[in-house]
Amino acid sequence: MKTESNVMYVVRLAGTLLLIAAIVAALLAGVNMVTAPIIEQLNYEKTQAAINAVLPGGGEEIAFTDDTGMVAKVYKSEKGYAVQVQPAGFDGTIDMMVGIDHEGKILGISIISHTETAGLGAVAAAKTSAGENFRGQFVGESGSVGTAKRGTGTLDAITGATITSEAVCTGVNAALDCVANLG
Amino acid sequence: MAQQIIGILIAALLSQNFILVKFYGICPFMGVSKKIDTALGMGMAVTFVMALASFACYWVYQLLLLLELTYMQTVAFILVIASIVQVVEMFLKKMVPALYKALGVFLPLITTNCAVLGVVLVNVAEGYDVLISTVNGAAGGLGFTLAIVLFASVRERVDKAECPESFKGFPIALITAGLLALAFMGFSGLSIF
Amino acid sequence: MNFKKQFMEGLLTKNPVTVQLLGMCSTLAITTSLFNGLGMGLAVTIITICSNVLISALRKVIPNQIRIAAYITIIAGFVTIVDLCLQAFLPDLAASLGVFIPLIVVNCMVLGRAEGFASKNGVLASAVDGLCQGIGYTVALVITCIIRELLGSGTFGGGLLNNGEGIRIIPEGIPAMQMVMPVGGFLVLGCVIAGSQWLMKYLNNKKAKEGAK
Repeated sequence: MKTESNVMYVVRLAGTLLLIAAIVAALLAGVNMVTAPIIEQLNYEKTQAAINAVLPGGGEEIAFTDDTGMVAKVYKSEKGYAVQVQPAGFDGTIDMMVGIDHEGKILGISIISHTETAGLGAVAAAKTSAGENFRGQFVGESGSVGTAKRGTGTLDAITGATITSEAVCTGVNAALDCVANLG
Repeated sequence: MAQQIIGILIAALLSQNFILVKFYGICPFMGVSKKIDTALGMGMAVTFVMALASFACYWVYQLLLLLELTYMQTVAFILVIASIVQVVEMFLKKMVPALYKALGVFLPLITTNCAVLGVVLVNVAEGYDVLISTVNGAAGGLGFTLAIVLFASVRERVDKAECPESFKGFPIALITAGLLALAFMGFSGLSIF
Repeated sequence: MNFKKQFMEGLLTKNPVTVQLLGMCSTLAITTSLFNGLGMGLAVTIITICSNVLISALRKVIPNQIRIAAYITIIAGFVTIVDLCLQAFLPDLAASLGVFIPLIVVNCMVLGRAEGFASKNGVLASAVDGLCQGIGYTVALVITCIIRELLGSGTFGGGLLNNGEGIRIIPEGIPAMQMVMPVGGFLVLGCVIAGSQWLMKYLNNKKAKEGAK
């Protein structure tokens, strides 16, 4: 036999679930308060490190025009520009920084975050010799870049990761175009 | 716009297939793939819920953005998905009993199908708008259906074949899935427009 | 309570990956380097222990009809906490596991233990169960990782040892990169499960022989 009415029972169900959700939410808010500043600081440091890697000394953020929709931010100093671009990789977006001097030559590239396949596309961002070699090829290039494998340019693609390599080139080209438009 | 939609369709169906390339929804893929008709039923149910969840979670995320509660997204999304599954189940039971009979047993399983939560999280991470999100959800579901139906049709035969004692059951099924994934690897690269 | 029995169940006879086939998505997706496998295993273990303890403590309060919704809410809470902590304190691991951290919510292993064990047993037993199942999960993950990494990238301990490059065992150019791709995941996990089935049968036969003596 039921000891309480149907309405009461439903209210009790909803109430318990609401209470659990409220406790979980409160707990999360607490954890978030601790971790949010740390995560923000980490992201800031990561971006700054990427700027410094491609444009020693960093730069000031400036306004820009962009037709590709890939350029996120542009920083300028007397040495040149650091352009943050976000091309679509093999799996998800690649967030990267491209350094370009005032003559339109690439100073260097640095990948901030990505979700490419470990051991393949991820090589593009790795601190290994293969990764350094891949990123090093871009230094000194200008105009437009591409991979020899796809016939879009002269650079060597990462073994087994043509799409990632081509995506990095697309990002670099967007950055080059953006800087060219800045004059 | 149209180009982006076609691109997403091709990616979700073939080159970035949810199961065979991205590994979302492996549990139902292994669990409900012994027969072609049940696999098809599961696929349809998942497609329906994925499209609906993508649409609903887009608005939920906008609300979370407004309230600056984005760190609650996982909790919010899973509750939305669980409620959608519940509502769809009740609605079908009342309004379309024939469809409920066909899909009914699969519906409760969908809440814990990581393809649904996966597609919602990907939509948010990629910043898709509401139309593209819904298309991505539906296309992901169709990709899931394609993979699970193909797999079921192979598995029906594999189960009758002879194989080493230790490989009987799931191991040989996983190896079959591996060979299917190998075939889908041929599609990689199609996604670039 | 029988700790040894629970431990053996988690590790082999009722291993969440090789026997119960739970949590397959993350098992297949992230087992490409030792670092990923250990990190994922640890994250899932912590979450399973926490959710098992809380759900076991609340098992008499939560009404039967809404138990799954309540469990998922609790699990999602713990997963988000672990996710935020990883992003703050282990950003490399968080970046490498990516979307598969929030997807632990729908890892059937965590929900499976909540429904199958924690909802029927005491707090302490549930904590031990979470630990044992977590260890079993981690071991299965690590074994799969080691095989895939060795065959796919030719290294051992990628992301952890030797500046993150891993120790090279097979010279570059020989390893088949397909092994770190989805294909390899299915093939290697199939073989690992076959191996565990063989081992269990071997142990059972040995026991039966000893019993006959």
